[in-house]
Amino acid sequence: MNGWSGFQRDLVEQMPLILAGLRQTLQLTVIISVTGFLFGLVVFYFSNSPYRWVRSLIQGYISFFIGTPLIVLLFLMYYGLPQWGLKLSPFLVAVIGFTMNVAAYNAAYLTTARNGLDPTEIESARAQGFGRGQIFRWITLPQVLRLSVPALTNQCIGNLKDSSVAFLIQYTEFFARIQELAATNFQFFKAYLLAAGVYLGLVSILVLMARQVEKWTRLPGLGR
Amino acid sequence: MNFFELVAQLAQGLVSTVVVTLVCSGTGMAVGLTVAGLRRMGYARVVPFLDGFTYIFRGVPVLVLLFLVYFGLPSVGIKVGPLLAMALSLGLIAGAYLAEVFRGALDSVEASEILAAEAMGMSRFQILTSIEFPQMLRLAVPGMINEFTSILKYSPFAYTVGIAEITKQAMTLTATTLRGIEIYLAVGVLYFLIYRILLAGVHYLEKRYQVPGLGTT
Amino acid sequence: MALIRIRNLVKQFGNHTVLDGVNLDLQKGEMKVVMGPSGCGKSTLLRCINRLVEPTSGTILVRDQDIMGAEVDVRALRQSIGFVFQQFALYRHLTVLGNVMLGLRKLRGMSRAEAEAQALFQLNHLEMADHRDKYPSQISGGQKQRVAIARALAMDPAVVVFDEPTSALDPVMVREVADLFNRLNREGVTLLCVTHDLALASQIANRVLFLDQGVIRADDTLENLAKHHPNDQVRAFFGEKEGRS
Repeated sequence: MNGWSGFQRDLVEQMPLILAGLRQTLQLTVIISVTGFLFGLVVFYFSNSPYRWVRSLIQGYISFFIGTPLIVLLFLMYYGLPQWGLKLSPFLVAVIGFTMNVAAYNAAYLTTARNGLDPTEIESARAQGFGRGQIFRWITLPQVLRLSVPALTNQCIGNLKDSSVAFLIQYTEFFARIQELAATNFQFFKAYLLAAGVYLGLVSILVLMARQVEKWTRLPGLGR
Repeated sequence: MNFFELVAQLAQGLVSTVVVTLVCSGTGMAVGLTVAGLRRMGYARVVPFLDGFTYIFRGVPVLVLLFLVYFGLPSVGIKVGPLLAMALSLGLIAGAYLAEVFRGALDSVEASEILAAEAMGMSRFQILTSIEFPQMLRLAVPGMINEFTSILKYSPFAYTVGIAEITKQAMTLTATTLRGIEIYLAVGVLYFLIYRILLAGVHYLEKRYQVPGLGTT
Repeated sequence: MALIRIRNLVKQFGNHTVLDGVNLDLQKGEMKVVMGPSGCGKSTLLRCINRLVEPTSGTILVRDQDIMGAEVDVRALRQSIGFVFQQFALYRHLTVLGNVMLGLRKLRGMSRAEAEAQALFQLNHLEMADHRDKYPSQISGGQKQRVAIARALAMDPAVVVFDEPTSALDPVMVREVADLFNRLNREGVTLLCVTHDLALASQIANRVLFLDQGVIRADDTLENLAKHHPNDQVRAFFGEKEGRS
């Protein structure tokens, strides 16, 4: 029984790889949080288009990506696209897949927040002579973003946790490195417990950061 | 093999996907109701445990917990079957999230009605089951839909522990036919259909038990 | 023997004394009205009687039994006292019928059929049977009150207590509420009612108790209180409002 000492030795030995994996995890989380947010804004902007067909298209997009598993999208790109001679790296597949998925969620949060806005504000902005784009930029967006801060930061926390899915398409992030650690000494329980602890710690840090962001962005009389 | 044959092949995994989703949803509901109920009953001593439970299970990725339960527990002498492993990972995580959904909805139950039930001579448990839960469940529908959708979307993880659900069928098919694009598109559509049916089911129940003046109308 | 006998009842919330030695007797079959300005402790007094609020000191006897005793079954006590709240507090997820049936089913353990028969009898009695399948959000304030009364009476309580029965209603409803109370009382129901509505009080009682700053300051007819009470504030309370109504 090599027990803890064996596990610790392997852990120390593989620490550089594990840390590199952790960096990959954080990198992926940050990238998809940003791209998912930006693309989500675009989707949100078009969700209020004057053209009916655009609105339906956006509705369909949001509904479809909320209704289908991310992993299917990742597998489609990773295992499917090579059929057309298009071989993307695991990282690129993860970024594209997550971005499309996360954007759908973010757009849904923003839409919900917009439905809670006071319609007379939009009317009065129009009466003042603001154009559509200006109203979006200066009236709708600032309020909707503030109202959505809890949902958006929650999404970022979700992104961190969900990034572990990327190992299923051979992206060597933190959880993939933990698998390797477990495979060398068969201490699966300890390895996965360690992984769970690390994710919990990272999530805790994100939660604290999210509270700060909520504090900074709060306006008197808007939202809770 | 044409497209419909592909779909027919994939559909063989449908039952497993639905079973996994229902088992995890059932576990989540039971756990969520228990946690929210215990918190509501006001036993101060259990509250830290409830807080700890929701904090941990909302902070650990589904996949990590699934691996911990299915591959980890045997190395400390506890053998867990695939479906139970799904219930103990995805189901418990869903339970932690649902507990929070229920907690929020319970806060919307009128304090005056609880007082009236107390004045009537009802026990705390009777108030919970005949006043608070019936109202809370109606108020919690949107949050519950989110959670059930999540469960469906995480259900493909079941393939990693050897359950032959839709995604697993798709992987096998892709390996033999090399037609990943059609297959995974079909899989996406299949999940979307399950999602819409699930949604329609919940909306049907919501409508059936709808009460004027309570929740979404 | 008095149905309810309250002696030297004191209730303090922290440093704040809400009830400061209240004495009150309620006979079986009686209809008693307690009046006083808002914040005088009326609601707290009612809530002490069924121990929704725990008194600080003093005794409350219900049918000669000290309700503060350790062996007292609080839930049985509460079942024997019908409570009609200011905002009526009907259960939003239940129909009118369901509201009246709930206690019969869960507390009395009646079968569905039995409970329904009993509930319908009470709803009929209060002219609400036609609305049996409606939900609380679909009926008016006065109707809600009748359902709340039916819900209380269905449990066959020793007394029905009312907390500000007219404050959530349209002022024109006062007459109707008074008629209903008088009718119930004639039929043998014991009522205890706290209110600051002089119009209501004058239509249901000759004598009223005046509760102010935690003590019963007077027990007299409305006319005497308005005209002959030595304290200016008391005369003002009873006089001024009579002028308005």
